[in-house]
Parts: sequence; C-alpha cells; structure tokens
Amino acid sequence: MLKRTLLLIVFLILSISLFSENDGLIFLENQTPFEEFAITGKDIPNDGGGGIEIEWSFPDSLDNFFLTVLRKDEAGNNSIVATDLLVSSKQVRDVSSEEDPSRVKDGTKYYYTGILSKKMVDENFLNMLISKENGYSKNGIYIFNNDTFYVTAETDAIISKASWFNLSRIPVVISLILISFVFLYYLNLAKSGKELYIRKINGLDAVEEAVGRSTEMGKPIMYILGIGYVTDIPTIAGLTILSRVSKKVAEYETKILVPSYDPVVMTTAQEVVKEAFTEAGRPDLYNKNDIMYITQDQFGYAAGVDGMMMREKPGAVFLQGLFFAESLILAETGHSIGAIQISGTTETAQLPFFVAACDYTLIGEEMMAASVYLQKEPMMLGSIAAEDLLKVFIMVLIIVGFILSIFAYGFNIGIFKNLFDLLVRALQV
Amino acid sequence: MAIATNFWIWIAALLTLAIYSFLYKDNPFYKFAEYLLVGISIGYGVSVYWHNTIITKVYNPLVYDKNFLVLIPLLLGLLMFSRFFKNVSYLSRIPIAFVVGAGTGLSVPSSFEFLFKQVYATMPLKLDFGSLIIVVGVISTLVYFFFSLEHKGFVGRVSRVGITFIMVAFGAAFGYTIMARVSLFIGRIQFLLSDWLGIIK
Amino acid sequence: MKFINFISNLDKRWIYLILALCIIIPFLFPVGFPMKTTPPVKSIYDFIEDSIPEGGVVLIGADYDPSTMAELHPMAKVIAAHALSNNLRVLFVTLYPQGAGMAQDAIDNVLKEWNKSNPENQKQLGKDITLLAYVPGVSAVVLKMGEDITQTFNEDGYGNKLSELEVMKGIKNYNDINLMVELAGSSVVLTWLIYANGRYGLKMGIGTTAVSAAEYYSYLQSKQAIGMLGGLKGAAEYEHLLDKKNVYGGRKDASIGMDAQSSAHIFFIILIILGNIAYFVKKRKEGK
Repeated sequence: MLKRTLLLIVFLILSISLFSENDGLIFLENQTPFEEFAITGKDIPNDGGGGIEIEWSFPDSLDNFFLTVLRKDEAGNNSIVATDLLVSSKQVRDVSSEEDPSRVKDGTKYYYTGILSKKMVDENFLNMLISKENGYSKNGIYIFNNDTFYVTAETDAIISKASWFNLSRIPVVISLILISFVFLYYLNLAKSGKELYIRKINGLDAVEEAVGRSTEMGKPIMYILGIGYVTDIPTIAGLTILSRVSKKVAEYETKILVPSYDPVVMTTAQEVVKEAFTEAGRPDLYNKNDIMYITQDQFGYAAGVDGMMMREKPGAVFLQGLFFAESLILAETGHSIGAIQISGTTETAQLPFFVAACDYTLIGEEMMAASVYLQKEPMMLGSIAAEDLLKVFIMVLIIVGFILSIFAYGFNIGIFKNLFDLLVRALQV
Repeated sequence: MAIATNFWIWIAALLTLAIYSFLYKDNPFYKFAEYLLVGISIGYGVSVYWHNTIITKVYNPLVYDKNFLVLIPLLLGLLMFSRFFKNVSYLSRIPIAFVVGAGTGLSVPSSFEFLFKQVYATMPLKLDFGSLIIVVGVISTLVYFFFSLEHKGFVGRVSRVGITFIMVAFGAAFGYTIMARVSLFIGRIQFLLSDWLGIIK
Repeated sequence: MKFINFISNLDKRWIYLILALCIIIPFLFPVGFPMKTTPPVKSIYDFIEDSIPEGGVVLIGADYDPSTMAELHPMAKVIAAHALSNNLRVLFVTLYPQGAGMAQDAIDNVLKEWNKSNPENQKQLGKDITLLAYVPGVSAVVLKMGEDITQTFNEDGYGNKLSELEVMKGIKNYNDINLMVELAGSSVVLTWLIYANGRYGLKMGIGTTAVSAAEYYSYLQSKQAIGMLGGLKGAAEYEHLLDKKNVYGGRKDASIGMDAQSSAHIFFIILIILGNIAYFVKKRKEGK
C-alpha cells in the first residue's frame, strides 16, 4: 500500500514537473500535510478597528515549522502579513499603523493564506506567489528548489471594524458602580451624623510618649516622609500623621526636623507643620528651615538623612510614608542612636525592617486608617467603612470560589464546574 | 591583570572606600562623598530634564516640526508656576485637575483589572494543601485590616491568624533582603578587587 | 552568661569586618558551590530561547541606578546577550534619568563582548540593539508606548531619530514586542504590570532585587508575569543557562559572586541564631 502511494506520488511529481512552466517549481494541488490544514481569521474584538487576528492550530509535531501569512484584498492585490512565524506562536495580528497605513482598513474584505514550511520561506518563491499573474489561489503542496511549502486554502472574507465599547471590561463597570454606591451610602451616613466606628490603631498612642520623652532629653524630633511624592497615598497619610505629631511638638515646645525628598512634599510639609503650630497656639516656634530639602536621589537622600541623624541625635524618629531600599538604612541608624521609632508604610517589602528595627509599626493600610482615626472627617470615615464592606465582598467571592471548586473538582459535579468557570471568566478581564 | 590605570576607576574606588569608612565612624571623607553624591544627582537630574523635556518635547517640535499643538501642554505646564504668586495661584489648579482627571480615568479600570487578576489567582484552580493555605492566608489577612470592627472574639482570633501570616511573609522578605544587601556589597567588592586592584579576573 | 553578654554588647564594627572577610575570601579562593536553576528564571530563558521568532523584539526596562546595579546590571547584560544570540532585536527603555547611563553601559559591554566572541555574526548599535531616550512621565510614558513607541521617544539615547533606525523597523507599539523584561527594585514594576501588561497585554518578565522578589511572586502566580529573576542569584542562574549554550564570552558577573553570597548567608544564619539565643536568655533572666 505504502509502496503504491509512494510510486503514485513520484509519478505525480514527475508528470507535473514535466508540464510545469517554471523550472524549479512542482505543484501538487489539494494535497495537505494533515487533515484540516487551515488558518482562521477574525476581527480583533474590543479594539479601535484596523486589526484582524489570524489563528491556527496545527499538530504539536509541527511546532518548530515556520508559517508565513499572506493577505489578499478585494482588488486582488497580495501582500505579506508576516514571514516565518513559529507555528507554536499560534496567532498573529494584522494591524494597520500610522507608518504603514496600507495595511488593514475597516470595512474592506480580506482573504488570508498560510504557507507552512520546514525551512524559512524562500524569497523568490514568495514573490512568485504574491505576483498577481501566478496568484496563490490554489492550495496544495509546492516544491521549489527542493524545499517543500504547504499552502492553505484562502480564508473566508474577513472585515475589521472598530468597537464602541470594550465589552470584556463589563465586570469593571459593574464593580465601579457598585463601589461608588457603597461609598456614597457610607458618606451620606457619616454626614448625617451617624458615628462610624473605627478601631484604635496601636502605635498612635505612642506618639505622645515619644514626643514627651524626646523633650525631656532635650533632643529634637525627626519626621521622615520617605521617598514618595505628594500624589502617593502613603505620603498623604504620612502628612496627616505629621500634623498630629507637630501639634504635640508645639505643645511640648520642642523642635521638629523634616528632611524631604521631593520639593512639593517639602512645601506641603511646611504648610502642615505651620498650621499645626498655629493650632497649638505656638506659631512663634515654627521655623521654616527645619523642614528642608535634601535631594531627589534615593541613596543620596538616605545618606543625607543618616548623616543628619548622627549629628542631631533626635530622641524620636518617625518614618511615615513611602519607603524602598533605604528603609533599613534609616531605621537602623535611628535604632543605633537610641531614638524611639514609630514607622509606617505600605511597602510590603520594607515592613519587615520596620517591624524589626522600630518600636511601633503601622502596617500597610493601618497607616491610612491611622490618619482617618486622627482626623475623623466624615468623607474619610465613610471611605474606610466602604472599603471594609468591599473587603467582605472579596472574601465572599474567594470563599464562594473555594466551595464551588470543592464541589466541582473534589466531588466532580458538572454544574459546579460550569459555575466555577463562569466566576473565573468574569474575573479574567 | 594589574592595578587600574584609568583615572575614573580610581575616583570610583576611592569614593567607594570613603562611603564605607562610615562603618567605622562618621568622618570628613564620608561627608565629602555624601555631599558629592547629593550635588551630582541634582545636577545630573537637571541636565537630563533640560535635554529630554525642554529640548526634545518642546523646543524641537516647535522650532523644527512647527507643531504648535505643543503650546497647549506647554501652557498648562507653565500654569503650574502660578503657585509662586499668591494672587494667581488658583490657576495652578487647571493643570492639576487635568493630571488628576486623566490619571484617574486611566488608572481606575487598570487597577480593577489588576485586583481581579489577583482575586482570580487566589481561586483554587486545583484542590491541594497549597491552595487551602493561600485562601486561609488571604482571608485572615483581610480580616486583620478590618477597621470598622473591634478585634475581639472570633474576629480577633482570625485577625491573629492573619498577623501570623503577615509576619511569616515578613520573615521571607527579610531573608531575601539580606541576600540583596549582600549582593550589593559583593558588587562593590568585585569592582574593587577586579576593576581597581586587578587581583581577580 | 559571659558569652551572652559578649554577644549583646559586641561592637558592630567587628561584624562588618567579619562580613567583609566572608565576602573577600571566596573571591580569592573560589569554592564553586553547585547551581540549581529555578522555574521562574528558566521560564524567561525558555521564552526567549524557543518562543520568539528570529528578528523578534525583546524590550528591557533598565529602571535602576548604581545603588542596585550590583544585582540588576548582570541581568541586563545576560538577557541582552541571550536575545542577541537568537538574532532577536533588543530595545532598552528607562523611566528614570539614571537608568540611561546603566543601559548604555550594558549595551556597550554586551556589544563589545559579543563581537569579540562572535566575529562571524557581528552586532551593531542601531541595527540590533539600542536605547530609547529617557522621557519623564513614568506611567504616562508606559501608556503612550502602547499607542506609538516612536512618537513617545522621538530619539534613541544617542540622539538618533528613531524613525530612521533599522532596529525600529516594523515596531509600532506593544503588539510588536515579543517580551518585555523589567529590571527594577522599585514599584515601577507595578506600573509596567498594570498598564503595559494589564491594558495592552504585553508579555512581561520581571528582574528585581532580592528585596522585592518575595513581593512579586504573587504576580507570577497570577500569571501577570511569565517569570522572574530575583537578585544576584537569579542573574547567576540565567548566566548559568546561557553559559550552557556556549555562545557568549562576557564576564559572568553574578556567577562569580555566588560563593561570596553563600558564605555571607552562612555567617548571617549564625548571627541570627546567636542573636535570638541571647535575646531569649536575657528576657528569661529579666523575667525572673
């Protein structure tokens, strides 16, 4: 059987090569390397138009073969979409761009063809295929200069279009609306005078103790806001806590030093301290130069603050804000001069050092909660309560997912599998 | 290999040693290197901003490409300086409003997608002990960061489990950081031994 | 008890000195501890090795400065060299002014070493590799790159017009980038993950300092990043993988530091144990 097939193929090759006009080319019409040898295309969903996605799924044994994709437009003009893609990449996007506007246009019909080959595609062969006269309308096996190329049939007409909405983001919109409602509800509740509870944050009580002890020793207080900008939430929280600390400083008639990393943060800190001193009735004690700019270089800043700590020997050091690799350098120096240290940041990677080297640490969101606890503004209290409710929502989501997956995969029940898939898909935006 | 003859390598090596001398005690060499670093980083930043922002984003498009659309962001940017003059400082709110508005619009959907991906990753796609730990860890940690409930009774117990998970995570992070700090030191030693002294390859 | 007191009152400078010796000695007398590659490193290596066709583009984010150079610079060099060995194009990008100097140094070094060890396959600046000019704006830059890379930067880091560079041929936006590896020790990694990966679906790998490595593991689990190089160890593993391919003769900066790393770790483990013993003994004594 095999022998006969082989003989037939040899005969075919010979007969075709005899009649072929082109010396190096042999063509076997309708032959395919495997069943269902084809590529498919579709408009890229949820995009701004001008893009078509071409996909293929070939047997794994062909993963290291190359695929070249060609495009034909309504007028019969051929062009190359991409040459020599690895078959394992499974898809390619034909997208128009400003530099190359000749590519996909919305509303035009396009037809795609794929060329599969073991070696990289021969340029002469490719030119021959895309020239209008020879056209590659015929699918089959081409043998050119002893290299074999398998050409797929043309795809159906594919038209690209622009989408008004990115439908894959519907869960985002729903969540956004939900969160806005929850937030507004709690905001109204807080405004209407209902007292929203917020738990006490450990470490805040220590503020007074730290400032008091520092005053007793006749040492200044250092407040480090880290290397965040005024747009970073931890920096803003740090500034709120700074207000509380400086008020205490003014009451105790001591000195506060705030070395800054960012000029805008520095200006804001100056305002905050000035206001707090005024509120405490001691605007005369406020010295603008105690809140100074160091540099906007991470380790330059760390070195500068370190040197200052060694010289000024503050009795209490507050590290509240956004910290990165300099966290341990600062906290360690503060520890070595024997200062009481109260730290807080949202950077998970830096918290271990603060926990190890400081007396009190506000972990992550505790910092934000602390600033709310100090201010007790209805807007912020409302947002803390709303956030807690959303945490419950996420917890419920995870627990539901967990229970579903126990039934779906532990007990192998079909309906739960479907439900679980539905949930997972909703989360994969 | 022999000791370096390149002037700049000598400068780098001596400055490295000057900074490390702080480990013994604070001294003028350390202070010199510290101030030098602070000064150079400011100078470098200014020159980079000048070339890559003012020249390539404003001057070149205006003068060579005659792209006058650049004037709009330029004007918005200049309004930022109104902060320095008390009677017109309210003008700086316009560019800030623009940045905040556009920034929020861009970041809200992306942040949600980011959160969804993390929640999705917490879903147990296969049932094993590892995914159970992840689920318990995530939930108890979330409970620890609950602020509208007092941490007493059941909530208190769960939040204690949560803080245990947090501390374990801190321990892992701490270990990694020791590794990082050692690596930084290794990088300098390698520089001193090979590029400067030429003792090793 | 005398020993406990000695430990708790030990001048820190002795510890610094011993640590320095722990690191210097292995450089002079290398031991060659065995190296095992971990899956997060291997998956980045495999992706560059197998899943990017010739002429594909690898984008490397050099968002670090001399302070974390020891960990991240070897990564930049070894990933760029690996990409060149597969005839891929390499683009460096930086969101920080100081990153430009780092990237230029990595490019110079890799090109020099590559052309020395592969005279038959010479690589050129501007044709196979380049650095996109620094532009301020961080997340705005990342977002704009998703629309148009050439328009975002206008120039490369050497003052050439991007539109005239051969290396930029056919590169419009993230759709034309096969893989981005972000090298940083700060939260800028998140900027890339949120905007470039989340919004534009850019395939990403992370190279980070060991400090941040623990934090970024959760982005591997959620498949937002395909792999991660954590600290000097991650870089050394990658060098080890590339070394097996035997195409690049550059200095293996990370690997030669591994002995020193191991000996320093042993020293730290001893310190932690001693410190804890001293702490608990003291606490018990005070409690009595």
